[in-house]
Amino acid sequence: MPRQTPEQLANFAKHMYGKLDQLSYYDLLGVSSGTLSSDIRTAFFRMSDDLHPDRYHTMADRELKERLETIYARICEAYRVLTTPEKRTTYDRLLSEGKKRLTSTDRESRAPQSPEDSIKHEEAKKFFRLGMLCLGRKDFKGAVMNFNFARSFEPQSAIINQKLGEAQAALGKPGGPGAK
Amino acid sequence: MSVVGIDLGTTNSVIATVRDGQVVVVPAAHGGYLHPSVVSFSADGLKYFSREGVARRIVDPKYTVYSGKRLIGLSFRSKEVQKAVARLPYELREGNNEQAVFVGPDRTYTIPEVSGLLLGYLRQCCELFLGDTVTGAVITVPANFNDAQRRATIDAGRIAGLDVLRVLNEPTAAALAYGLGQNMSQRIAVYDFGGGTFDITILQVEGDVFEVLATGGDTFLGGDDMDTALLNILAELFRAEHGIDPRQEQAAHARLLIAAEQVKCHLSEFPEARGELKNIAISSQGEQLALRFHIARNVFETAIRGLVSRTIQTTQEVLASVGLAASQIDDVIMVGGTTRVPLVRAEVERYFGRPPRTDLNPDEVVAWGAAIQAENLAHAGENLANHAVLLDVTPRALGIAVAGGFAERILDRNVPVPVEQTRIFTTSADNQSSVRIQVCQGESRRFDENVPLGELELTGIPPARRGEIAIEVTFRVDTNGILRVRARDAATGAAREAAVNVRGGMSDVEVAEAVERQKSQESPIDDSTLPELAELEGLEELKD
Repeated sequence: MPRQTPEQLANFAKHMYGKLDQLSYYDLLGVSSGTLSSDIRTAFFRMSDDLHPDRYHTMADRELKERLETIYARICEAYRVLTTPEKRTTYDRLLSEGKKRLTSTDRESRAPQSPEDSIKHEEAKKFFRLGMLCLGRKDFKGAVMNFNFARSFEPQSAIINQKLGEAQAALGKPGGPGAK
Repeated sequence: MSVVGIDLGTTNSVIATVRDGQVVVVPAAHGGYLHPSVVSFSADGLKYFSREGVARRIVDPKYTVYSGKRLIGLSFRSKEVQKAVARLPYELREGNNEQAVFVGPDRTYTIPEVSGLLLGYLRQCCELFLGDTVTGAVITVPANFNDAQRRATIDAGRIAGLDVLRVLNEPTAAALAYGLGQNMSQRIAVYDFGGGTFDITILQVEGDVFEVLATGGDTFLGGDDMDTALLNILAELFRAEHGIDPRQEQAAHARLLIAAEQVKCHLSEFPEARGELKNIAISSQGEQLALRFHIARNVFETAIRGLVSRTIQTTQEVLASVGLAASQIDDVIMVGGTTRVPLVRAEVERYFGRPPRTDLNPDEVVAWGAAIQAENLAHAGENLANHAVLLDVTPRALGIAVAGGFAERILDRNVPVPVEQTRIFTTSADNQSSVRIQVCQGESRRFDENVPLGELELTGIPPARRGEIAIEVTFRVDTNGILRVRARDAATGAAREAAVNVRGGMSDVEVAEAVERQKSQESPIDDSTLPELAELEGLEELKD
């Protein structure tokens, strides 16, 4: 198969980029929904031969390059889903409901959480972070001081009290956090 | 203007390029093609490389950096660095941003700076040899290098004045050098046992497309460990004879280590090694003490059997991770000098049930592949009818910290790159104004048990009740295996994109300064002043 010329690549990007979200994984790889895993692999390899970023590494047009990479990343995604049996089963079900992409948003979402997220008062949060930094440096004295400051702004915070307790214990001073 | 491939090794480095369609390996000072990965610093600001640097490991161990690859891209506080600190004779200290920095005679140097000096030296060797400037390079890394280690390697290349075209996985480079495929469908195992690391990679090759099916390894297992095993044998012999443990003294230790390496190479070819090492230590009467030794191969093999078994065990695990049996592998490629050890070859052959391929020089094969890839990239878009394309995969799973100390996986390991994955998260508290996204790399469910890569903060989230805000977190891994993370507030469109602020890494400003400094301070290499390695006398007897 002859290699794609830069013009052909540009046309391809123009054609694909805008409608990427409307294409199913089968459409992207140019295969039908009943295609065997091994044939999907062949199709993916054939496309990779043209569209892998190594093929346009020296391309001067940054925007076109970026677009081709985005398209290729989606092709990789299609390949990965369609050649993993359990993912493919889930995807086929979603596709029948009209979804074109298997994203993890279809699973239960959980919040990224840092310890200070539950602290509401801004000042308390600030001192809590400083305390955590001290704790990381094993500066337990500084940690106790900062956690105490934090507690003065938000006395009932469980996390502040917990960390204060830890810092005090590490410092060798007995006595719990003593929540109000 | 030329582009090169560089195998930046833990113990030795190799640099190669393509001339008129042929791979050419750049010779090293003092012969051979292996450039020891050593940089020695003197108080007057001079740097010594190659075997000159190796010689200074004995006379000036405090200022001679070797095994820099064991430290690159790692936080000073990491287990690996702490382990290295305990073993290495040169001083390391914690610098900015948790970086491990080497304490030189004049100032401190970050590890990418030290590696940058080494790469700069290699570049100069190549330029002298070719009579041409070298502009771009493909630098190889172990397949299991994480994001931070890859970034630090790129920084080192930039400091050396090189445009890093790609960081390429070493096993993939080796497979490329063998030119496997050729319209055939094959499953290949690349068994790479180097000086400092072990990697096993399973590749599927179809025509000119290479796909990495799985990769695994051990960053702290290599020929150096065999040298240490032999050093211990030699030291015990010495102690039995003279009642002094030579490992207690740095210079004697360094001398024995060099001897151990030579004995290992000898035992790879001959069933026994005998010789005499002069001037190992000084007795209480002030006499120079020598060591006469006679070591049979089977004594050595007993000492290293455990190390070799670990590689086979890792190989088994990696194969199992993709549901393959050893018998389903069509070809086994041997990479790395340690594969010359007969026990290694025998064990690999026994496990796979077929003799491994050793037709290309195992020390040079990675640089060969890197040179080929550099040529491919430099001429992308031109007539590439015969050039292979490499489909690489993510070396580790990537995830972020979530409630309860857990890591929520965003990208699995071994997925083809480039790859992009978006997850939608929500806030966990009412009126939460910011979200901190802590990124980690590794397979564990617990955040702490993975390698923390860094963090990203999305601020200015408008007041809302918990759960009402949708935050899109997008992970994108490029063909270098480098991660970019973007967090976006779906309602306001406010976005933060970051090449995650990597712990233990140099900042962009630091790299830019280092680039300038090296450019202004680089001196031409001089081959005429290389010292004689008098310390190695006495080992001549080994050559009989």
